[in-house]
Amino acid sequence: MIRMVGVAKVYPMGSEISPILEDVTLHVPQGMLAAIIGPSGSGKTTLLNLIGGLDTPTQGQYFLNGQDVSHFSREQWAHERNRTIGFVFQSFQLIPALSARDNVALPLVYRGVAPKVRRAQADQALEHVGLGHRRDHRPSQLSGGQQQRVAIARALIGDPALLLADEPTGNLDQATGQEILALLQTLNRAGKTVVIVTHSAEVAHACRQVIQMQDGHLVRVAQEMERV
Amino acid sequence: MMTWRDGVRLAFHGMVSNKLRTLLTMLGVIIGVAAVIVLVAMGQGASSLVTSRIETLGTNVIFVSPAGGTPFPVSEATVIARALPFPTIVVPEMNTGATVSTLTASGGAQVVGTTPAYIHIGAVSLAAGHFLTPLEMTQDQPVAVLGANQVQTLFGGSNPVGASVMIMGQQFRVIGALNRVGQGPGASQDKDIFIPMTLAQSLLSTTQLSQITVKTPSPDQANLAADYLTNLYTNTFGSANAVTIASEDQVLQTLQATRATFTHLLAGTAAIALIVGGIGIMNIMLVSVTERTREIGIRQALGATREDILLQFLLESMAMSLSGGSVGAILGVGLVHLVPVLWKTPAVFSPNALILAFVFSTAVGLGFGLYPAIKASGLDPIQALRYEG
Repeated sequence: MIRMVGVAKVYPMGSEISPILEDVTLHVPQGMLAAIIGPSGSGKTTLLNLIGGLDTPTQGQYFLNGQDVSHFSREQWAHERNRTIGFVFQSFQLIPALSARDNVALPLVYRGVAPKVRRAQADQALEHVGLGHRRDHRPSQLSGGQQQRVAIARALIGDPALLLADEPTGNLDQATGQEILALLQTLNRAGKTVVIVTHSAEVAHACRQVIQMQDGHLVRVAQEMERV
Repeated sequence: MMTWRDGVRLAFHGMVSNKLRTLLTMLGVIIGVAAVIVLVAMGQGASSLVTSRIETLGTNVIFVSPAGGTPFPVSEATVIARALPFPTIVVPEMNTGATVSTLTASGGAQVVGTTPAYIHIGAVSLAAGHFLTPLEMTQDQPVAVLGANQVQTLFGGSNPVGASVMIMGQQFRVIGALNRVGQGPGASQDKDIFIPMTLAQSLLSTTQLSQITVKTPSPDQANLAADYLTNLYTNTFGSANAVTIASEDQVLQTLQATRATFTHLLAGTAAIALIVGGIGIMNIMLVSVTERTREIGIRQALGATREDILLQFLLESMAMSLSGGSVGAILGVGLVHLVPVLWKTPAVFSPNALILAFVFSTAVGLGFGLYPAIKASGLDPIQALRYEG
């Protein structure tokens, strides 16, 4: 699903050039449940942003689903994200002025899907995460766990092959976090490739592939079999 | 790629999500568009009134008046009539401001000493009674014909024929009343009181005329007459500038030039109003883009292209200016109907002004919405998602 070879990301900081990510070579197979771990500033969010095309690599090659996306333009990435990637963020990133249903339907707006069809699919996705009864509520009227479920429904609605989650349990209490993790695990079992950036040992432990980052370097990739 | 329908839906959603702010922002465009429609209607009303007056007078009339200290005695009328090789109506006038009164009322008036032929120029028409007659003229009878304003001031609008008025200490019998002329180029005859010229000479103790009006059978002859008279006065006084010779044709041309200036002035005023409105829209859109930075980041992450974001904000600013334009148009058309009632000024509604107003408000929305929209579409998704508003 994800293959990176010698990927680096460098940000110009004034006259200095500081590398954020150096020489990352990585393979996440289709259907994998992967965690990216590491201390703050180790480059794990940058890596996730690169995977999701919110950022582009300065160097190296990146293949997504077998397609070379190393030099994709902003427009190409917008289309690619819309079709093959679902995002889940630590701070949920729902639009406050929209109802749960309209938030969930958002990716379909950018696919040019008709409003009626969008609404039906959004209701279905909300049903799927157990929030069918809350579809007309605004994000502010929902609990943190419910908001994250709405965000997951939104990530799912376009039926993407890849789910990218940046600290999805970071803003939630332990019990709610476990529910969200369980939901992601269920989705993974249903065939989605899931990549989670996390601080939580518990979340990392639940994953079958653990990618460990430190100082912008990929220091270790542990597969399930090694850990056993 | 978002569909157009969704774009428009989104634009209106953005507009109504902050109603008061949207309304205040739209106010600039509302006032601008209403101003365009009302000002143009008033301009058109004024010029159509003037044009219709000139048309009733005809373009076969020329005016001769002394410039500066040129002597212009009563005998000049005979000189002019003789100088022209075709039949003309030559009407001398001497004017002065005076106080007039009846037993119950008094006021200021323009006293005009003239001849019975004055009525044949076509500038005024009788509402009651008759105009000065040759007999009254030769007998130096103290008779007067009142303009519409004088009828109103001195007699409260009732028929004055047969009543008496005091003009400069002398009593006059009213023999006629004129229809209202209204405002137009030059002075209106509504304030005037017409008396026989022979009597005016002794009353004003002068033999100097203030104007001679010449009416020829055709407009071409009027131009010819103007040329003849120019020659005549060049020979008499050594300069054509000693008298002013103006034909209605020239007056009409001057009027059209004035109207063009007036139209440009209106267009300028309207443009300023709309530009100010546009700046208001730009200001609010920039605030809106900043406030919604995170939303923009979210939309980008979910697959909105640069074009989608650009369209969203551009359509929102256009929705705002077009809604403002529509409200302004309704307000403007309403005011056009109200102006003649409130100020007794004619106003002619022009569909062109409506079209102009809409074109302008669309252009304003597009023009002033473009920069904020470009700013929004150029945001970096990662930074936008991290924005703490």
